[in-house]
Amino acid sequence: MLTGSLSINGKPSNLMIIGPPLVGKTILIRNMFFEKINEGFGGIFITTRSPAEEIADWLSSQGVDDFKIIDCVSKTTMQDLPDEPKIKRLSVMDLTGITVKVNELFKEYLKDEKKVVVAFDSLSTLLMYLNEQTVLRFLHVFSSRIRTTGAVAFYIVEEGMHDEKTIAALKQLFNGVLELKDENNQRFLRYMDTSVRIDWKEFEVQDNAIVVKT
Amino acid sequence: MKIGIPVLDELLGDVPRGKTVTYLIDPEVEGDVFPLQTLYENLENGNSCALIVSSMSPEIIKNRFREFGWDIEKDSFSIVDAYSAYVGASSEEKYFVKNPADLKELDRVITRAIEENDLIVFNSLSTIIDISGEDVIEFVNGWNKYAMLNDAVIVYGFTSWPYAQEVLEKIKELSNTVISVGGIHHRVVLGHYYGILKSDWKEVKNKAVLFKLLRPGGVRAYIPKILVTGPFNSGKTTFVHSISTKAVSVDRLGTTVALDHGHVDYKGFSIDIFGTPGQERFNPVLKILGGEALGVIVVVDSTKPEDFPRAKEMLAETTRFGLPYVIAANKQDIDGCLSPEEIKRKMNLPDDAVVVPMSARSKEGVYDVLDALLNLLIGG
Ligand SMILES: Nc1nc2c(ncn2[C@@H]2O[C@H](COP(=O)(O)OP(=O)(O)OP(=O)(O)O)[C@@H](O)[C@H]2O)c(=O)[nH]1
Ligand SMILES: [Mg+2]
Repeated sequence: MLTGSLSINGKPSNLMIIGPPLVGKTILIRNMFFEKINEGFGGIFITTRSPAEEIADWLSSQGVDDFKIIDCVSKTTMQDLPDEPKIKRLSVMDLTGITVKVNELFKEYLKDEKKVVVAFDSLSTLLMYLNEQTVLRFLHVFSSRIRTTGAVAFYIVEEGMHDEKTIAALKQLFNGVLELKDENNQRFLRYMDTSVRIDWKEFEVQDNAIVVKT
Repeated sequence: MKIGIPVLDELLGDVPRGKTVTYLIDPEVEGDVFPLQTLYENLENGNSCALIVSSMSPEIIKNRFREFGWDIEKDSFSIVDAYSAYVGASSEEKYFVKNPADLKELDRVITRAIEENDLIVFNSLSTIIDISGEDVIEFVNGWNKYAMLNDAVIVYGFTSWPYAQEVLEKIKELSNTVISVGGIHHRVVLGHYYGILKSDWKEVKNKAVLFKLLRPGGVRAYIPKILVTGPFNSGKTTFVHSISTKAVSVDRLGTTVALDHGHVDYKGFSIDIFGTPGQERFNPVLKILGGEALGVIVVVDSTKPEDFPRAKEMLAETTRFGLPYVIAANKQDIDGCLSPEEIKRKMNLPDDAVVVPMSARSKEGVYDVLDALLNLLIGG
């Protein structure tokens, strides 16, 4: 559907999705994540914003099952919820916990000879709690692991929350950028990686899905 | 006081009062357990211990102890809570840092903890640097000196994110003993090990110990296993014997009918080596070795290209789970044998595949094979 029509499928290992609030980033990343699982990937969704249960329900309602969620919401807000088979909980401050957990899940999926898709919603929360250098160091380790395992990862970044320097440094770490914008009630996206460049295209959000107009 | 970690206790002996120990932990390894285990051991031995928590809530860290079956509900245990205020929560801990980003306040609370305890453990010194900047290092210097005056021991957990080299050097320099906790990376982190980088109260040899985490139980050392496989008559048994300090095989009429079993102490690793029979299917063998096997050596007879398809099949079977492998091009002493490059091409191996020439019979190159595999495992 979406990634297909943009023909960026699987190209970048680390893709950053950036746009202003409410433009549809969350729906987009969920759909991209869902599509990969539907293709047979094992999924790891790291959430710092939406409750893990909500994401799990949404994915289940779309009919996919092969995913795990790393919940960085509940522990950060001092709720003491137990882990569940599909949901592992960590504090956003616990970056080592995140890399270790992701590696564990990678190992399980690789045993089943599965490829892996990772969604990270969002890096902006990390940047709220931790300073830029810390987050960059973490992402450096994280994105290289994604590359060496042959996985794909999507990361959401809130536009307008960080300075130019931070955004530039983030772009350096990722090999693809998908930008979203909102103009006179119309929404547009454009895409860029080392080999492909797709200029602004209009898109709509329909029934929890993103439809690119052609 | 004790380190409380297998093998390290023997190597380092007691930790003298006034000393500091740093665990330098690979960011992709669950190494935060090490400082917690050291704390628990010493708490059990009747010392008063304070844990400085900066990257997760006190509740979560207490659960972490419970996960490993360690009871810390004692009056002699306390937490320095340098986290809760950061996420806007209150705290019921004995020591509470109201503004963790304010180094002066943090320093005041930690100083008090040093005065009042035998052992001070930092769950994550790196997180404190992340929050407050590299100025923390000057304070570390101060805390270490103060611990010396107070006959206390400080243990730091430090995650080695890609910090500036000076930061890592400084941290090492300020510690009396540094223990590295590393990962064996090959696409994913396959295993993990620890070793002593330095110690100023004990002469230590370079030694790496592989470990697993048991829940309950904590850090447990184990001996890595290397699987040696390859076609019939390629020289597996000869190879296992040539690199092992001791080895046994069950051969009947010159062919192996059970596992070759060898053992070698090499570069600080204590390694078990298993040679599979060439004739039989060894998938069940691989199952027996389970998650314990760390790498595969495929021995091929460099004069028998007709056996290469079989070698490839065996390679595919054994490395299915993402294990790293090295091809040992054996019988290089025989005239007209194929070169490693020719073998690589004939076997149609990927460019980054490692093919090492050797002669198992004369032992020439056998350690190069082991080196190549260890290099794949811990080199990068
Ligand atoms: N010339 C030469 N002969 C070797 C070398 N290594 C092993 N051989 C000979 O090759 C034959 C097979 O060696 P083994 O070590 O028993 O081979 P294997 O792979 O264990 O054989 P199976 O267990 O039966 O599959 C023996 O006659 C060895 O002496 C070598 O480096 N050079
Ligand atoms: Mg044999």
